Amino acid sequence: MWRYIVRRLLQTIPVILGATLLIYALVFLQPGDPIVALFGEKPVSDAVRAELEAQYNLDQPFLIQWLLFLKGALVGDFGVSYSGQPVSELIGRTLPVTFQLAFMAMIIEAILGVIAGFYAGMRRGKIFDSTMLVVSLIVIAIPIFVLGFGLQLIFGVQLQWVPPTVGSNTSFTNLILPAVVLGLVSFAYVLRLTRTSVIENLTADHVRTARAHGVSDGLVNRRHVLRNSLIPVVTFLGADLGTLMAGAVVTEGIFNINGIGNLAYQAILRGENPTVVSVVTVMVLIYVVASLLVDLLYAALDPRIRYA
Amino acid sequence: MQTKRTFKYVAALSVGALALTACGGGDDNGGDTADGEMVINAHGIEPQNPLVPTNTNEVGGGHIVDAIFAGLVSYNTDGSTEMEVAESIESEDNVTWTVTLNDGWTFSDDSPVTANSFVDAWNYGADPDNAQLSAYFFNAIEGANEEGNIEDGSDTLSGLEVIDDLTFEVTLKEPAADFPDRLGYSAYFPLPEVAFEDMEAFGEQPISNGPYVLDEWNHDVDAKLSTNPDYEGNRTPENDGLTFTFYTDPDAGYTDVQSGVLDIMDQVPPSAIETFQDDENIEAHTEDGSVNATVTIPSSLDHFGEDEEGQLRRAAVSKAIDRESITSTIFDGTRTPSTDFSSPLMPDYSEDIPGADVLEFDAEEAQDLWAQAEEIAPFEGTLELSYNSDGAGNKEWVEAVTNQIRENLEIEVEPNPFATFAEFRELITNREIDTAFRTGWQPDYPSVYNYIAPVFGSGAGANDGDYSNEDFDAALVSAASADDEETRTEALTEAQAILMEDLPAIPLWNQDALAIAAQGVEGVQLNWQNQPEYHLVTK
Repeated sequence: MWRYIVRRLLQTIPVILGATLLIYALVFLQPGDPIVALFGEKPVSDAVRAELEAQYNLDQPFLIQWLLFLKGALVGDFGVSYSGQPVSELIGRTLPVTFQLAFMAMIIEAILGVIAGFYAGMRRGKIFDSTMLVVSLIVIAIPIFVLGFGLQLIFGVQLQWVPPTVGSNTSFTNLILPAVVLGLVSFAYVLRLTRTSVIENLTADHVRTARAHGVSDGLVNRRHVLRNSLIPVVTFLGADLGTLMAGAVVTEGIFNINGIGNLAYQAILRGENPTVVSVVTVMVLIYVVASLLVDLLYAALDPRIRYA
Repeated sequence: MQTKRTFKYVAALSVGALALTACGGGDDNGGDTADGEMVINAHGIEPQNPLVPTNTNEVGGGHIVDAIFAGLVSYNTDGSTEMEVAESIESEDNVTWTVTLNDGWTFSDDSPVTANSFVDAWNYGADPDNAQLSAYFFNAIEGANEEGNIEDGSDTLSGLEVIDDLTFEVTLKEPAADFPDRLGYSAYFPLPEVAFEDMEAFGEQPISNGPYVLDEWNHDVDAKLSTNPDYEGNRTPENDGLTFTFYTDPDAGYTDVQSGVLDIMDQVPPSAIETFQDDENIEAHTEDGSVNATVTIPSSLDHFGEDEEGQLRRAAVSKAIDRESITSTIFDGTRTPSTDFSSPLMPDYSEDIPGADVLEFDAEEAQDLWAQAEEIAPFEGTLELSYNSDGAGNKEWVEAVTNQIRENLEIEVEPNPFATFAEFRELITNREIDTAFRTGWQPDYPSVYNYIAPVFGSGAGANDGDYSNEDFDAALVSAASADDEETRTEALTEAQAILMEDLPAIPLWNQDALAIAAQGVEGVQLNWQNQPEYHLVTK
């Protein structure tokens, strides 16, 4: 088991190298001179240009820029943003907020999705099932920013149950609405996945056998149907954590949340290589760790899976 | 928890007795720092640079820097200039200026504001080693190059000399009668001695001498400002403090103004441009604005040179554009067609500039002018208009303008988009662009001179089209060395008349100043910089 974990973690090294190189190349290839943009319509003298280029390693070829970044990243130094703040501080400030948001969204979608999907699957073809299918279809079909602005208008501006935007106060109650918006689409997928899986398992051999042995209905449903149905759901949720964090850009914009998605978006607009690449590196790490956790969870859910 | 109560208070105000079931955490955007204090919540943007005046060239940091510092002069809402820290700024030849400071001004650390506070700050800003973004503003002072940096590796500008604690002398490269008017811009603000010990730390927590002091800067969240009890300048705050809450998406800010969480916002998101004036949840404010939009046709462009043919073609293009219809349909009336190269907000604006009718739409005359040019040399190929498509709304108006020119002149005209502003500006700066392109100007101080001298003067810093006309330069010099207001305005009008003939750039329209405020917010006045006078806002 430990050897497996170590092996998986070692595999992340080439993934991170590749991802940062790719991002560095993309940001580097982006047309336009960030220094000219910094000065707007005012002229820049050669002396100042040289000074700034040296400061941000912009005078180096891009492979060297990338290596310098890696060198710094190894000792936890991600460079400085154009506003003079260490990028590690920026990430340290925004990552927990996005993590809290994504985690809340995941809890919401997992609990509601599994419960609704389970009941829909158990009562296949009945009114609850059909309603849920229609609801999930609608949720999947509507773009997230429409959902975001719509719910913000209803609950934030008109009913005033929650503040319309989050801003500085990232408390649990303030983040509920954004978390619901963020989790809604995935909720629909979790629901559908659980439902299909439950329907499949209801007719599986081991469930029939259990019922034939006279095991009570509740126990069969919980232990044999639900637990086995969760494997594809857990796979989905694991991959979804990364998507939720990266996909929070839109939600974070609508609700003015100072998360990592917003940070990355702003940095891309300004062409701030150090910030963009650092954020991507952190995202890749999260993705890799999340998928590792998912693989380990399999073993807990399905006794047939063992890691040597 | 204070913040919680605040939010409930705001919510209860706007919906009466509605049950507040789920507002547990509240939102400290709500604002009041202590009971009975009137703190205004304003829309802000996270500053992109440390809060050092010479390094702040964007609106996010500008809001804060302008509120916490006081310069030699300050600007009134109408754009007129008033002495602030300076007692007098005098010169006999418009070249050597003697600045005398008022006694008694202090920074918030109780250190006095002296001649050195200004001279050292300016030298710091102009030193290329410090790579300050607003160095450009020192380019008129002796010892600075065209970009405003100190020449010859020296540490100080040779044109600055401290006489005593309250007096210093500024020597300019050329006469500039409006020099005192320039000094209210943030690049000229003073810095306390302590700043030079550690500018990085200072940029995070500036010590200042203005109407407000910065109490807290929570990165990406907000900046909290309280009034400065020692301030006795021209901009006495009517409120007890300002909180700039930072937004990345203006739509979120708009929503917060609608619900009363935010008191004032200095812009309107594109999504609300059509509707904000009829929105009952907010108070809309629109005024004439100072930012203009122009189309620059570089003189190097074939058939558009500085000769008779070029003049005819430029005039034809200008007369082929129906500014009125574009501002009303594409911009929903939030732009006003240009009547000159500046803005009606400028104190020295003139209504009657000879030749200004070239800015009026007249398709027939446009065709006629173009035909005359065709007789000199026939035009072949396509006239292209370049723009950056990352700026909101650029695509729409550029397409409208090119359509109008194409239809009215019956020639090939095409829009030429660039993905980013950075790429677009780089090509212009390196003179690698061989099309007409969009330009615009936001004045650094309230004067027509600032709209034309840096943009159209021979070899000037922002002369992107490489326009050069001796008569125009001469008119600028006489404006800059004029002894009285009247001669000066006359010279500026003459200069603009030359521009109307040559049209190095074609003025299109001025962007109106827009702001929205929550219900019950009073004292919203937009100044010549298109910004609300935050110190006058009350609720």
